[in-house]
Amino acid sequence: MKRVYVCNDTITGIFSGIYDAWKTKLGQEQLGIVLKGCIDQELFCEYAEVVESEKKTIAVENLIKKHMGYEAYWEIYHAVLSSDKEKGDAILGMMLEARNIPQSKKIMQHLSHPKVRKVFELSRNVSNEAHYYREIIRFRELDNGILFSQIEPKSQILTCLGDHFTDRFPLENWMIYDRTHKMFLVHPESKHWVLVLDEVVNEEAIKKVSVKEKTYEKLWKGFFESVAIEERKSYDRQRQHLPLHYRKHVTEFQ
Amino acid sequence: MRITENMSLSKKLNILSDAAKYDVACTSSGTDRHNDGTGIGNCVKAGICHSFSADGRCISLLKILFTNECIFDCKYCINRTSNDVERASFTPDEVCNLTIEFYRRNYIEGLFLSSGVWKSPDFTMEMLYQTLYKLRTEYRFQGYIHVKAIPGASPELIQKVGFLADRMSVNLELPTAESLRKLAPHKNRKNILTPMRLVQNGMAENKQELVAYRNAPRFVPAGQSTQMIIGATPENDFQILNVAEALYKKFELKRVFYSAFVHVNEDSNLPARGDEGPPLLREHRLYQADWLLRFYGFEAKELLSEMNPNFNVLIDPKCNWALEHLEVFPVEVNRADYYTLMRVPGIGYKSASRIVKARRMGVLNFEDLKKMGVVLKRALYFITCNGKMMYPTKIEQDYILRNLLNVGEKLPISVTQMNYKQLSLFDDYHFRQEQFMAEAGKKAPIEKIIG
Repeated sequence: MKRVYVCNDTITGIFSGIYDAWKTKLGQEQLGIVLKGCIDQELFCEYAEVVESEKKTIAVENLIKKHMGYEAYWEIYHAVLSSDKEKGDAILGMMLEARNIPQSKKIMQHLSHPKVRKVFELSRNVSNEAHYYREIIRFRELDNGILFSQIEPKSQILTCLGDHFTDRFPLENWMIYDRTHKMFLVHPESKHWVLVLDEVVNEEAIKKVSVKEKTYEKLWKGFFESVAIEERKSYDRQRQHLPLHYRKHVTEFQ
Repeated sequence: MRITENMSLSKKLNILSDAAKYDVACTSSGTDRHNDGTGIGNCVKAGICHSFSADGRCISLLKILFTNECIFDCKYCINRTSNDVERASFTPDEVCNLTIEFYRRNYIEGLFLSSGVWKSPDFTMEMLYQTLYKLRTEYRFQGYIHVKAIPGASPELIQKVGFLADRMSVNLELPTAESLRKLAPHKNRKNILTPMRLVQNGMAENKQELVAYRNAPRFVPAGQSTQMIIGATPENDFQILNVAEALYKKFELKRVFYSAFVHVNEDSNLPARGDEGPPLLREHRLYQADWLLRFYGFEAKELLSEMNPNFNVLIDPKCNWALEHLEVFPVEVNRADYYTLMRVPGIGYKSASRIVKARRMGVLNFEDLKKMGVVLKRALYFITCNGKMMYPTKIEQDYILRNLLNVGEKLPISVTQMNYKQLSLFDDYHFRQEQFMAEAGKKAPIEKIIG
């Protein structure tokens, strides 16, 4: 009988599920993880609800770092942020497979295993998406001097952006709002960034931009127009590099 | 000058970005620098593109000229002194302000500052220096700066600017001294190569300083680049590629850019204006070959020769090389070394390194290769997995060529929008369809091959 653990779509949820599954010491075929809300009931399966805890999460994180190395840890970290439904199952499968190979730290090279490949793909998708947003996030200066940006990513990439923008704008107050997952990344001047959940955005406040903002928006749009070479114009190529769904909140496409 | 005093900033930006757009280099790669906590900006090794303009080229830097006043009269250039265009100049503060305000909003990765030659090369270089000095010290900008070294400027000035910029470039403009004399009468080979050598030596010295003093100021940390105009003069691809190779080897350049010639001026020394547009496919083939030189261990003389001086319009340079060297194929994926794998059409340097790592964990088959990103429809004629080819195929030039042409090549959209006939004038003037057919040893009509 296969045991399937049902958990929440959060890092704590998934890692707690992995913790419970790992404890049973069963093999890859007999274990599984599904996310709450996307269960396809199967025959000959036993479903168990996962009790989340911080302790379990830390235990799993340490297990990964110690036995699979930091390379694998970051791949898993990115995979967890993905919007894919089977991510928990893939990560568990990869961890179980790492037990079977002689050097478990080289698990990421074992790309011919389907679960390892899945984690590799998820991780690559998430870090690619995060990279896209590093490029096309556009800040607007609000009238209180805060740089504000909003995005609608598929994966929960905010934490992947934190270090990059903190290093870039250490002396600015800035904030990125993820509309899809209703999360904020907030950076107060000269401090570390924080992730803020369960807050509501003040739609009125984010519309009030500073006096200079409109001027620079116009200058930028003008630059964007004039830098293109007429003889080489190719909207298809532009779309190939910058797909339409990324353009929603980008200044020069509005 | 009287005109520019009353000109609005947006007008200036329009004129001076429009004048700078023909420079292709817009990369922001090569430096990794963290912010020291006192200013704004950092640099990422791989570089970051922030947007894509209507021609599909990336926008990474605020690409502007300091001024489009110019005392030179280069035939291909829109800003040449004999052209009657509206002239404008920035002040150093305007450039700094624009850079900082655009950067804060994450529009750009840094500044690309070029300039027309205003009054004299030294005067212009001095203006560029003042601008960069202000930007780095007063505005505490720590992002990426790419600056042009003006041919003919004094060594001291270039040295000073080099300590403020991340990348410097001097445009070679045209592949041979002969063409340069014809189209850019005020420039000469020596004037262009001198600053290039200067920057190279400066970088070498700086490397030694950095060994002794870790915190010594860094001189052009992202290296230097250059660009050549393709299609304005009669050089063939072999000459161009040899020049590029020499620049990589002798001047240790980071990048050589190729810019398809765009007609902006009427001049009897320039090729006649037709309706075929810039030679984009030729530019594309040169970039493909450039990659082969830099990352795949190829040499220019392997790809082309005196006898065969131009790239094939129908297949890419790597496939072309493979077809000429069928004696080394097929290679066994599970055993061949990294460099051999990279020479197989359909295997790039990324998938080659994935293969080398993954095969330590087990024997690879064709399915695995596909998942790792190998383009099997090209690679299948050149590889074996466990001693077996994917399908029974003949290792025969015509046969493989026919099949490769059947599956087609994924060209960038900008290139495929034009048809082959339009390209034939400048792209490959030595190329004859009959000749190609004779080489391929086939009697079928050409439509069949292209189709």
